[in-house]
Formats: sequence, C-alpha cells, structure tokens
Amino acid sequence: MDFLSLLTPMFFLLAGVGTIIGIIFGAIPGMTATMAVAVCLPLTYSLDLTQGLALLLGLYVGGISGGLVPAILLNIPGTPSSITTTFDGYPMTLKGEGEKALKLGIASSLFGGLFSAGVLFYFAPALADIAIKFSYVEKFLLILFALSVIASLSKKSMLVGIFSGVLGVWLSLIGTYDINVGGNGETRLMFDFMEDYLDTGFSLLPVLIGIFGLTTILEEAEKGIREEPLCADVNLSNRSKFSLKMFKGQGVNLFRSASIGTFVGMLPGVGGSAASVLSYTQEKNFSKDPSKLGNGAPEGLIASETANNGLTGGSLIPLLSLGIPGDSTTAVLIGAFTLQGIQVGPLFIGENMDTWYSIIAALLVANLVMFFFMFFAIKHIAKVVTVPKHLLYPIIIMMCVVGAYTINSGIMFDVWTLLLFGIFGWVAQKIGIESAPFIIGFILGKDAEIYFVKSLESYGSLTIFFTKSPIAMFLWVLIFLSAGYSIYTSVKSSRKNNSSVPQG
Amino acid sequence: MEEGLFSFLKISIDFKESHLFFPTIMTWVLAILAGVIFLVYGIRFIRDVANGTRRPRFFVENYDKFRLYGTVALTVVYFMAMDLVGRYFPNTGFGFLFMSIPFMFVLSMMYSHEFNRSKMITIAVNAIVAPSVSWYILGKLFNITLP
Repeated sequence: MDFLSLLTPMFFLLAGVGTIIGIIFGAIPGMTATMAVAVCLPLTYSLDLTQGLALLLGLYVGGISGGLVPAILLNIPGTPSSITTTFDGYPMTLKGEGEKALKLGIASSLFGGLFSAGVLFYFAPALADIAIKFSYVEKFLLILFALSVIASLSKKSMLVGIFSGVLGVWLSLIGTYDINVGGNGETRLMFDFMEDYLDTGFSLLPVLIGIFGLTTILEEAEKGIREEPLCADVNLSNRSKFSLKMFKGQGVNLFRSASIGTFVGMLPGVGGSAASVLSYTQEKNFSKDPSKLGNGAPEGLIASETANNGLTGGSLIPLLSLGIPGDSTTAVLIGAFTLQGIQVGPLFIGENMDTWYSIIAALLVANLVMFFFMFFAIKHIAKVVTVPKHLLYPIIIMMCVVGAYTINSGIMFDVWTLLLFGIFGWVAQKIGIESAPFIIGFILGKDAEIYFVKSLESYGSLTIFFTKSPIAMFLWVLIFLSAGYSIYTSVKSSRKNNSSVPQG
Repeated sequence: MEEGLFSFLKISIDFKESHLFFPTIMTWVLAILAGVIFLVYGIRFIRDVANGTRRPRFFVENYDKFRLYGTVALTVVYFMAMDLVGRYFPNTGFGFLFMSIPFMFVLSMMYSHEFNRSKMITIAVNAIVAPSVSWYILGKLFNITLP
C-alpha cells in the first residue's frame, strides 16, 4: 500500500500543527480560515503535495472551528461562519455556561467535520466519474453554472454579484492567450508598456493573499486597530458542566445541520456564513419552541457549529471532482495544487489515488486534533483572543510578502500585485463588489475562455451549447433554476422592503 | 445542411484574432452589467444624494487617517526598500531580513495606542525575532527565495 507509506509522522505532525495554527487564526477576531491558508502557503513550497495538503487542510478545519471561541465568549464571530454561533453561544456565556457552550460547539464541530468528510469520500469520486465525460462544452456550462449560483446567493444583489464574478473573469484574461492551451500567443487587455510585467497576467496567489490577507489589515487600520476591549471579561466558570447527554434528542438537528453545511459547501463560492445561517433558521423553523433560540439554547449552537464544519468536506467536493472551488478557502487551496504542478479536475482522484486517500486522512486527523486540542485546552485558547494586534498584523504583512514573492521564484512584481489587490479588495468591499464571486471568476476565467472559444472553433455554432448532450441540457436547467431562484428571492425581498418602508 | 432557423448563431473565429474574441465579449458583458447596475441603483443613489436624503460615505465613521494611510505608505516604502537592498545582496534574502525589521517596528509602533517601557520592548523583540526566524526557517532551512 503506497498510501500508508505517505502517512509519515511528519504528515500527522503537519496536520496537527496546521489545525492548531488554524484554531488560533480562527479564534482571533478579524482573521479567517482563508487568511490562515493564504498566509501559510509559503510554508508548503518546500513540502511535497501530501504534506502540504495535510498542513493546509489542518489550517482550514482549525480556522473554521476556532471561530466559535470569540463568538461564544465575546459575542464577536471569529470567522464569518460563526455569526450564528453568537446568537446562542454568548447568551450561554452570560448565564455562566461559557465552558459548556464551548465544549458543545466543539463536539458539534467534530460531528459536522466527520460527517462531511464521509460525504466527500463517497460523493467526490462519483461526481468525478460523471465529469470525466465532459467535453469543453459541458465544462464551459459548468463554470457558467458555478458563476450563476454565486450570483444568485450573493449577499447584496444578484446584479452586483454577477458583476463581481465577470470582473474577476475579465481581470484573469489579462496577459497572453497561452499557446500551451491552444491560444495564439498574443497579449490582450493591456497597454504595450505593461507587457514586461503582465505577460502571464496577474498571478493567482498574490491576488488571493492580497484580497484575503492585506485587505483585512487595511480594514482594521481604517478602524484604528482597536484591541478587543472585552478581554478581561473572558470568564469560564464551571457552574454547569458539559456532558454528552446534551446531545440527547438532537440527532435530527445534527444530521440536518451537517447535511445543510455539506450541501451549501458544495455550491461554488458560497461561504460558511450562508451554511450556518441556513441551518440555524431551519432549526428555528422546526423547533418546538422557537422563542428559546437566541436566548442561549444549546440546539441553536449545535445547528450553527455543525453546519459550518460540515462545510469543510462539502466545499472540497466540487474542488476535487470538478476543479471548481466551493468557497474562498478552497480557492486558495487551488493555489496550493497549482504550486505542486497538479491540475485539480475530474481526472485528479483517479490519477492520484494515494493523494486522495491522504486528503481524507488529513481531514480526519485535523478534525480529531481539533476536537481533542480544543476540548482539553479550551481555557488557554480562550486567551488567544487577546493577542495584541499591533504585534500580529505586521507579521501577517511580512508573511504575505514572502508568499507573494516566492510563488514565481522571486518576482518583485508579484509583491506589488499583492499590494494592488490588497487595496483593490478594500475599495471593492466599500463599493459593494463581493470578493467570493470575484475570486471564483478570477480562478475560472482563463478556463472559461478556452472552453468557450475551442467549442466554437470546433463546432462553429452557438447552438452546440444547447444541443451537445443531455448533460449540457441538464446544466442549462440548473442554470435557469439558480437564475430563477435569485430573481424570486430578490423580488420577494424588494416586496418586503416596500411593505415595511412607508412610501413618502 | 444546417441552414435555417439557427443560422444566425453560426460563428467562425479567425485564429489570428482569437485572443480578442472572449475578452471582447467579457468587456461588453461588463459594460452592460455596469449600465444596468447604474439604472437600477445608480440613478436612485444620485437622486438621494442630490436631495440630501443620503450622504455618500466611503470611509467608516471617524476613520483613522493616520493608521490607514500610514499602513499603505509604509508598505510601499517597505516593498521599494526591500527590492533595492535585495539587489545589493542577491540571493541572500537580506533585502527581506534587513527591511522587515524596521518595517515591523515602525508598523507596530504605529498600531499601538499607548506606550510604556515593557510594551516598547515587546515590540522591539518581536520586530527583530519574527523576521529573523522566518528568514532562517524559510530562506535557510526551506531554501525559499526571498527578496
């Protein structure tokens, strides 16, 4: 078994260390799992793929899980996906049940993580088997579908969501139309003087690190780098103890929330906040006494934390079977694969069986490490929330520089790209452009071009996109469904606004 | 023969010009989307601003000019200096090491709200240790190219 030989002590060590660093990132408000993965990417340059992935998956699982600590103790979501954890977690802390709430959240996280890893294990190869038959036409439609889903679930408005995605695609096209993939080697979308720098376009990693690393720091700097004032209030009294009995009667909730998390994770570009918000509202809808939720009800906490960890396995499904990232963190993971010279897509699992098994192993290890580390060291992790930002942020910027500079073995322009997109990300969130659709568009843009142009070159007619195969037609049905859904929700919400705002 | 209803959908792409085909479409899509967004939101926004019901605000309230612009300016200086020093000592990562130390020190100072002796010492130690450790681990142990 080659696979077992990959599971070296180093593998377990890296997965464990990654998880712990991830938890710390997640626990510090304002720092996300995505940032953890982006900032630690340079560490994987000299590791092989299996070990690099072990580290990064650990960071991912840890980063998502760590967010529950400040959410429960300080009422500040550590990562966007733990917003709903604050609803019931913080009231529990106020009641003196802080430690119980933390441990409940950790155990729920473990369930969600393991559940979704299981779904990933059985579902991704099946999906890849279907996707292997895809020609350029279906691949283009798949990207179109991915972008339409992102847009339809976009936070503010569908139009702006689509715009952000298309802007990402547009920016990814800058540079040479690569001969290696059948292009003609001409540059486009730039002036002559830019050719020296932008011959191959903007590199993915500096763009990612800029948007997910530097942008956060600029946002914080704008707010004046305030240290969390509530630090002193972190109290963990032992008035009521955690016990597994608390999960009694929560079976349906656990499975529903884990499934919602996994499913939302599979949808491209939809982040953890959507997963936990959806499962929290479902719990509220089905609850016998909905008024309890929001006032320190354990079931609300369980719903939120199970769902956001369910996301981890879920969002790896489209990444590993189709090459389409499920959320912004997995988008950064694509960068890690690219670094190792591996193209993720339908062929990935079949051709890299050992890596595939090691990914599952890393996920399991990360979840278990997360559980034991957080369960037994929770009191110490709670203090992490108070790490001073004036020491932390300069380190982050420094790590961002290393990551950006090293990606193409030392090109200063990549460092400037980092700054450029750091500022871009900061301006973008001001004017409403959303980073998730933008990044997914940016990652998939070049592929979309090849698939689209090559399909037309070989078939010579736009009708091929509708008539190529039953799969193509099915994808159109999905695209129309997601467009229909978004139009339905936007009409519904604008009606709601109109009826609640008095006309004047 | 595929003549008839769908013949207008026929497209032939000149290979010499094929690098512009998709970007042109995307530019148009982008422009049209921008136009629609302007019609849907922009007009109302301008009207609200004009009659004073809404004040456009780019920055957060009472935003910290010093720390925001300071971060950007310092980062630009940091990158330039790193490149410059790095050229003097090629392939050593000294540009990164020598410039990260003052950068981190100044940035930490800038981000601090109040000062005392022990805090200054922590900042100084952090500014020296963090870049040195990353330079050693990444540059020396892992052989990663640094500026």
